[in-house]
Amino acid sequence: MTADKSLFFYQCRDALQRVYAWRRVRVVIVTALIVSLPFLLTWQTSKWILISRLLLTGFVSLTIFGIFERWPRRLPSWLARWALQVAMVAIAIPFVTAFGYHITTMELTTPWWRDKDRLEGFGTFTFLGLIIVPWAAVAALLKQIKNEAQTQALTFALERSEYEKEAINARLRLLQAQIEPHFLFNTLANVRELVYLGAPNATQVLDSLIAYLRAAMPRLNTPQATLRQELDLVRAYCEVMQMRMPDRLQFSITVDEAANDVICPPMTLLTLVENAMRHGIDPAERGGKIAVTVSVSDGMCRAMVCDTGIGINKQNSTHGTGLTNLAERLQLAFTGKTSLMLTPIAPHGTRAEISFPATFASAFAASVPA
Amino acid sequence: MRPRAPTALIADDEPLLREALKRLLSEIWPELNIVAMARNGREAVEHFDALAPDICFLDVHMPGLTGIDAARFIHRRAHIVFVTAYDKYAVAAFEQGAIDYIVKPVDRQRLLDTVGRLKVRLTASAPALDTTSLLAALSAQLNGNSTNYSPPTHVKWLRVAVGQTIKLVATDELDFLRSEDKYTSVMWHDIDGKFHEGLIRKPLKELVSELDQTQFIQTHRAYAVNLSAISHVLRGHNETASIHLKNRADILPVSRTFLHHFKMM
Repeated sequence: MTADKSLFFYQCRDALQRVYAWRRVRVVIVTALIVSLPFLLTWQTSKWILISRLLLTGFVSLTIFGIFERWPRRLPSWLARWALQVAMVAIAIPFVTAFGYHITTMELTTPWWRDKDRLEGFGTFTFLGLIIVPWAAVAALLKQIKNEAQTQALTFALERSEYEKEAINARLRLLQAQIEPHFLFNTLANVRELVYLGAPNATQVLDSLIAYLRAAMPRLNTPQATLRQELDLVRAYCEVMQMRMPDRLQFSITVDEAANDVICPPMTLLTLVENAMRHGIDPAERGGKIAVTVSVSDGMCRAMVCDTGIGINKQNSTHGTGLTNLAERLQLAFTGKTSLMLTPIAPHGTRAEISFPATFASAFAASVPA
Repeated sequence: MRPRAPTALIADDEPLLREALKRLLSEIWPELNIVAMARNGREAVEHFDALAPDICFLDVHMPGLTGIDAARFIHRRAHIVFVTAYDKYAVAAFEQGAIDYIVKPVDRQRLLDTVGRLKVRLTASAPALDTTSLLAALSAQLNGNSTNYSPPTHVKWLRVAVGQTIKLVATDELDFLRSEDKYTSVMWHDIDGKFHEGLIRKPLKELVSELDQTQFIQTHRAYAVNLSAISHVLRGHNETASIHLKNRADILPVSRTFLHHFKMM
C-alpha cells in the first residue's frame, strides 16, 4: 500500500516538475510583464490586478499546454499533438480572461460586462491573448524539437565512439592471441619423432603446422578472410592434432560449395574448433570426434562445430574468454546480426553454433572503392 | 647391486611421444626394462598397481587424471620423473623441488643427466623423495590457482578392486555405495553408461567422510548415494523413503535418521 502511494506521489511530482519547469514559468512571467508595460501607462485601477490577470492567463495556458502534452495518451493519426496543444490553448483564452475579470471585480456592484471600459479591456486582452499565447506555445514546441534532435545526435555520437572503442579492443585482443607454447613444443616433439622415423607424412604435417602458425601469428593487418581460407586453417590444425593423438581424435569437415566464398572475420572457425579441442576432446580419456559443418541459406551463413568430448556440464566452467571474444568480434563485424550458441549434446559433448550474414567475396570486392 | 634390471613405466597421451621416450631410454639405458606404456593418468596408476615399476615417467598434461594426480597415488613407492612440453610455473617448481623433470622435445643430454641421477638413487636403494607438499603446490598451479593453495578437502578418484585388478574411478562417475561390513561395494557407470561394481577396503562411514559432502550423502546405515545419480525420491510409511536412480533399477532405502536430507528438497 505504502509503495503504491509513494509511487503515485513520485509520478505526480514528476508530472508537476515537467509541466511547471522553471524555464516555462520564467517565459510566462516575462511575457506577462512585457504585455502589461504599455497598459501600465494608462491604467486607472490597481496595477497588481492587471499583472495578476495576465499571469493567471499565462499559467492556465501553461497548464493546458502541459495537460495536452501527455493526455490523451494516444491520438488519432489525423490529429497532431502540437495542433491539439495550440488549439486547446487558443480556445481557453477567452474563458480564462473572463474568469480573471470575474474574480478581480467580485466586490464591485456593477458586473464587469456592464462596465464599458472593462468590457473593452476584456476584448483587448482576449485578442492579445489569442495572438501571443498560441505563438508562445508554438515557439516552445519548436525549441523542444530542437533539444530532442540535439540529444539524439549526442547519443548517436556517443554510441558510435563506444562502438569504435570496442572494435579497437577486439582487434587488440586478436593481436594478443598467441600460439600456446604447450601446443607448439608438443607438436614439434611429435614432428621430430616423425622425421627420425623417416615417416612419409612428416613433410605434410610440417606443412600443416606452418599453415597454422602463419595464421595464428599476430598480424597488424587482418584482412577479411573467406571461409575457404578459414577452413584450410581448421583442416591444418585438425591434421596436426590428429597426428598427435591418432587414437583419440577423428574429424570431419562438411561445407556447402556456396559457403566457400563467404567473408568471415579471421580466426572465427578456428576459435570454435580450438575450443572444442581444448575443452571437449583433450580432457577426455577416450577423445572423440569433431564435426565441422558450414551451410548458407536465406542470406545467412551457419557454422556448426560438434564434439563428442566431455561436454560443458562436466567441466562446470564457462567456455573461456575465447568464445566471448569471438562473439564480440562477430557482433562488431556484422553490427549485431549474429548469434553464438553452445548446447550440450547427448550422451556427452558440445555443439557450438554461429550464424552471421553471408557476404560473398566477389560482391565484397565490388562494393569496396578502388 | 639390485638382483633384477630396473623397471619403468611411461605415461603420455600422445603415442609418438611415448615411443620417442622409450626409444631414447633404450638407447642410453639399455638395461632399463620398460614394463608398461600408459595413455593417461588412470592407466598409469592401474599399471603401477599391477607391476610396481621402480621409475615412472609421467606426462604432466594428460586427460582425466593428470600426471601430478597420478604421482600422488603412486606416492613414494616409485621414483617419479615428470615430462612436460611447457609449463612455466610447473618447471619453476620442479627446479626448486627435488622432483626430476624433462621437457619435450626431449634433449638427449638432459635425459642422460636424469638417467644418471636415477641410477644413483636406485643403487642407494633410497626411498623415493617425499614430495607430498610439492605435488600439492604443483597441482594447484596446474589448476591455475597458484596464489592461495589449500589442500583438497575431499578425494576425486578412488582405487577400486574389481576381481584381481585395481581400477581408478572418478567420484563423479559413482552411483552409490553399499556397506559390506569392513568393506564397501562401489557401483558406478562409465562414459558409455555401462554399469560396474567393485570393492574398496574401507568401511562405508570412513569412505563417505572422504568424499565431497555436497555430492555424496549417507541415506541409510548401509547406503550412500551420489546426489546427481538420483532420479526421484518416494516417501514411504513411518518416516522412511526410497531413492530411485537414473538408468538403474536399484532402489535405495532412506532410514529415519537420514531422512532430513530429503525433507528440505
